[in-house]
Amino acid sequence: MDRNVCIIGGGMSQWGVRDGSQRDFFQEAARALYDDVPQLNPKDIDGLLVASAYTERTSYQTHLAPLVAEYVGIKPRSICARVELLCASGSSAIILAFGLIKSGQADIVMVAGGEKLYTPQKWEVFYSELASVDHDWDGPQGLGLPPPVFAMVAKQHMKQYGTKKEHLATISVKNRRNSAKNPKAQFQTPVTMEEVMAGRMIVAPLTLYDCCPITDGAAAVVLASEEKARDLTDKPLVYLRGTAQASLNNMSANMPSWTTWEALKIAASEAYRKAKVEPKDVNVAMTHDCFTISEIIEMEDLGFCKKGEGGPFVAEGQSDFGGRVPTNTDGGLLGCGHPFGGTGIRQGIEVMRQLRGDAVQQVPDATVGLTHNLSGFIAAHTVLIYGREVA
Amino acid sequence: MTTPGISVLDGKYMVTMDLFPQQSKEFNQVHPFYAFLQEGRLCTTRCKDCGAEPFPPRVLCPDCYSTNMEWVDWPTTGTVIDFTEEVVGVPLGFGKAPLVHALVDLQGKKTFFVRIINCAAGELKPGDQVKLAVFDVDSVPQEVGRDVVEMQRVFYAFEPVK
Repeated sequence: MDRNVCIIGGGMSQWGVRDGSQRDFFQEAARALYDDVPQLNPKDIDGLLVASAYTERTSYQTHLAPLVAEYVGIKPRSICARVELLCASGSSAIILAFGLIKSGQADIVMVAGGEKLYTPQKWEVFYSELASVDHDWDGPQGLGLPPPVFAMVAKQHMKQYGTKKEHLATISVKNRRNSAKNPKAQFQTPVTMEEVMAGRMIVAPLTLYDCCPITDGAAAVVLASEEKARDLTDKPLVYLRGTAQASLNNMSANMPSWTTWEALKIAASEAYRKAKVEPKDVNVAMTHDCFTISEIIEMEDLGFCKKGEGGPFVAEGQSDFGGRVPTNTDGGLLGCGHPFGGTGIRQGIEVMRQLRGDAVQQVPDATVGLTHNLSGFIAAHTVLIYGREVA
Repeated sequence: MTTPGISVLDGKYMVTMDLFPQQSKEFNQVHPFYAFLQEGRLCTTRCKDCGAEPFPPRVLCPDCYSTNMEWVDWPTTGTVIDFTEEVVGVPLGFGKAPLVHALVDLQGKKTFFVRIINCAAGELKPGDQVKLAVFDVDSVPQEVGRDVVEMQRVFYAFEPVK
C-alpha cells in the first residue's frame, strides 16, 4: 500500500512568554486546530505524535503523548508516542506521520508540538540547553547556548564571501514585519533597519535582533490519507510530496564545514528528488532562522541562490514577497519565537495556508512549499516539501 | 547546601543538573581521558585495527567498527583560526563576560571550537598560539556501597601562550 497524504488543518496557541503550563498550551493548540477543520470529529483521529524536546527538563514529564491525548480528548489506536530532535522535533513528527499514513499503518494522525520553556526562575532553561549539544564535550566548553556557534558561522561567512551586517539585518526587519501581522507570534511589533543595526551586542557580529528568543507555546496539525482528507475538508488539498533528514556529525570538532552545511545539502537534494521538484519550483519557504545568518546560508544550501551569494540575495528582496522565494512569511523563529517542538508544526501550518490560498500574507498562486529545520550544533537538517499536487 | 523550593533535595547531588561529565570508571568507560588530563595530556582513542583516531574518544571505531581501541596522545598546543567573545548571555557556570571561544587548529589533528580562559577581552587574534589548560571542577559525591566518596574531577579549555 502506498497512499497519498494530505495536511488538512492546523492551529496554534498564542506564542511568547506565556502564563500557563505545557499541557495548557497543547489544549489551546488543539482548540485552534479543531476550529480549522470543523468537519473533523476529533474522536476519529486514530494516531497522535507529540513533539517536545524539553518536556523532561522544564515540565518534568515523560510519557507525554498519552497525557496530551487525554487532555485534547482523543483516543489513539494506531500510534501514540513522542518524537524528539530538539529544534526539528515537530518536523520529524510530521515526517513519521506521513510515513505511517502513506504505508497504511494509520489514517488520520494529529501531530502536536510544544514546550513550556520558561520556569519560575528563568536561568533554568538556559542551563538546560547543556543537553542540546554533546553534554560531555561541547557543553562544558560553554557551548550549550548557541549564540557563539552562530557568531562563528557569521564571521566565517563574512570572511569567505563578503557577507555584511546589513545583509543579516535585512532578515530581522523582514521577519519581524511578517510576525507583526501574525496574531499568534511572540513579537507583535516591526523593527526598523536603524533599530536592528543599533541592537545591543550579544556575540560579535550578532546583536540582539539577530537572535531568536526562547518561547512558550504549542501548535498542532492533522495529516490524513487523501481518501479521508476528501471527506474532512472542503478546502484545497495540500499534499506531502517528499521529505528527508540528514546528519553528518554531532560534536563541533567533527563539523565538515562551518559555512556550507553539508547535511542540509544532502537533506535538500533527497527531499527534492522524492518530491520530484527542483529549487526553482519552490514558491514559498519556511527556513530555520534561529539566527539571521542561518537564513542566508539556507538560501544558498537549499539551492535558491549560488553559494556565497545569500547576503546580496536577501538584500535584493529575493526572499521577500515579490522576490524569488518568499521566506518565513509568518515571521519565522525570529518573529514567532521558538518553542522547540512547536516550530516545525508552525512551519507546516503556514506552508499549508500558503498552498491553500488562505494565508494572512498570501504568496500569489503558490503551489510548492518547503520547510526546513536545523537542530543541535547544526548537527542535523530536516527538509519537507509540500504541494498542491501529488509528487 | 540547600535547594530552595525542594526541601527533600537538601544536600543531594543531582546528575541531571551537572555541567560536567561523569569521570569515574563506574559511570564512564573513557574515564582514562580525564586521568590523562590531570597529567596535562590531551588524549583520544586510536583504533588498533584501522588506525583511525576519532574524537571524542570512544569504545567503538566509527570507521571499521572494531572495539580494539588504545589511547594516543594528541598535541596540546594549537593555532587560533578565529574567535568569538560573548558579552551578553554568558551561561551559568562560565564566569563573567566575555566568554571567549576560538576555532583552534590542533596541528592538523582536529579543528576544535573551545573555550579560551585566562584571556582578557580583545586580547586574542587569529594566528595566536594557545595551549591546553586543565582545571579542577566540582567533585561528585558518589555512593560506593554504603559510603559516599568524593570523586575528583577536572576539565579542559585552552589559554593563550604568553
